[in-house]
Amino acid sequence: MLFAQILVNGVLLGGLYGLMALGMALVWGVLNIVNLAHGALIMLGGYAVYFLFTGAGIDPFAALPIAMAGMFCVGYLLQRFLLNLIVRSALLNTLLITFGLDVVLTYLAQLAFSADFRTINPSYAGANFTLGGITVPLARLAAFAVALLLAGLVWLLLNRTRLGRAIRATAQNLVAARLYGVDPRQLYAITFGIGAALAGAAGGLYGVVAQITPYIGTSLTAKSFVIAIIGGLDNPLSVVLGGLVIGIAESAGSLYLGPTFTDVISFGLLVLILVARPARSLRTA
Amino acid sequence: MSAPLLEIAGLSAGYGAVPVLRDIALKVDVGEIVTLVGSNGAGKTTLLRAISRTLGARGRLAFDGRDLAPLSPEAVFALGLVQVPEGRQLFGRMTVEENLLMGAYRRKDAAGVAQSFERVYRLFPVLFERRRQKAGSLSGGEQQMCAVGRALMAAPRLLVVDEMSLGLAPVVVDQLLGVLSDIRGEGVTVLLVEQDVFAAFSIADRGYVMETGRIVREGKVSELAQDPEVRRAYLGVAEGG
Ligand SMILES: Nc1ncnc2c1ncn2[C@@H]1O[C@H](COP(=O)(O)OP(=O)(O)OP(=O)(O)O)[C@@H](O)[C@H]1O
Ligand SMILES: [Mg+2]
Repeated sequence: MLFAQILVNGVLLGGLYGLMALGMALVWGVLNIVNLAHGALIMLGGYAVYFLFTGAGIDPFAALPIAMAGMFCVGYLLQRFLLNLIVRSALLNTLLITFGLDVVLTYLAQLAFSADFRTINPSYAGANFTLGGITVPLARLAAFAVALLLAGLVWLLLNRTRLGRAIRATAQNLVAARLYGVDPRQLYAITFGIGAALAGAAGGLYGVVAQITPYIGTSLTAKSFVIAIIGGLDNPLSVVLGGLVIGIAESAGSLYLGPTFTDVISFGLLVLILVARPARSLRTA
Repeated sequence: MSAPLLEIAGLSAGYGAVPVLRDIALKVDVGEIVTLVGSNGAGKTTLLRAISRTLGARGRLAFDGRDLAPLSPEAVFALGLVQVPEGRQLFGRMTVEENLLMGAYRRKDAAGVAQSFERVYRLFPVLFERRRQKAGSLSGGEQQMCAVGRALMAAPRLLVVDEMSLGLAPVVVDQLLGVLSDIRGEGVTVLLVEQDVFAAFSIADRGYVMETGRIVREGKVSELAQDPEVRRAYLGVAEGG
């Protein structure tokens, strides 16, 4: 029974992790940018939903689309006016610029929002139900469902629309995509916008199940990075699967090893996976 | 006579400080098949890059009377100047059908796109059979067919093909050459870059020979095929034997 409970906790958490990594994997695969500010974008999304809830009284789940729209604009503009300078350039450049962006966003968040812990606390935050002896927190279940829904939508976008085809084509062969009339600057900005919107949604959900501070970005970036490598950059659904793996491992690990070990667990798992199947991981990364 | 479809004069280009092309003059009339031949490193691909505006160049470069110099690669493409690039450059992890759809990325006329699909599948029935297969898993010949098919999906006015025959079996080369002749009959003008001079001359009207960045011969292919220098260097025929 304990094991089943751990599994459920892990899966619910893992869906959210998958959503966190989704935007990072998308941007990485298409723009070849390992966005070290991805966690900071998640953090911003969290604050957006927090203030929509506490300030305007909008239910956090209803606030998600609003936060996503706002974060899309932030991402689009960031790409158009800053990151287009370094797109597809040397890895070091992209790491430096996005690291700088991470530092700036974290600092600004600290100025604007203070370092206080914040939680998005709707009336149903503590609600749960029991199923065959397993406790299922309602808010986590809803966050999990939303994460799956968004991953499914991203899959549909990439595989069933003209825009998605162009995004994948650009990721696979930039020269040919340009030759057939794709304007990469526009496409990169849209892709980064989508990545930021997904980060925003993940941040809002994170705020419902955990606490937000200006400093959560770094560890969430690291987690997203690990999941993107495990899940690969091509398929949103396998990214979610990667999220589930990490979620379950953390949920089991924090019980048996203690909660301070969660970050170690995801990186430990990454090392194990790289050792076990180096060829695949390196090819997709 | 109407103006040429593609007109190049006094064109020079290079990579950084390294000049490759010098004072190139070349024209392609509507409805022609023109071939550009030359040995490795002569600058053929470089010229095509200049034409598609993926590489900067000096000199006159006009398509259908319109100066290409101020245009982006996307804008050149939108005019109907479509390339099948060297090495095919397919979207390897996308299906054949998706690759073909990418050729039609800029087209708004759904009916026209459907017609182009029909035409491509008629010209290359094997692409229809393999339409759900990943392009990267096709054989070399099928990949080249997919690359040509993708270009045809763009409804080109001028189709520029780089190194079509490279690494392909003669029977596949013949089939592809047949397709180029067919589409010329359907109103598409063709500029074909080839190392296989025999193959290129078998379907072209006129030809240009390029050596180290210059055009050194031009004329009807029937005349070029008689030129002793061309015969020796490109057709492997020893004179006086
Ligand atoms: N991206 C590049 N950067 C620098 N030099 C280049 C580049 N591409 C080609 N070159 C040089 O330009 C010259 C012409 O090359 P190009 O590819 O145009 O030849 P080609 O006629 O197409 O040859 P091939 O028949 O082998 O394809 C060569 O000396 C080559 O080394
Ligand atoms: Mg070449």
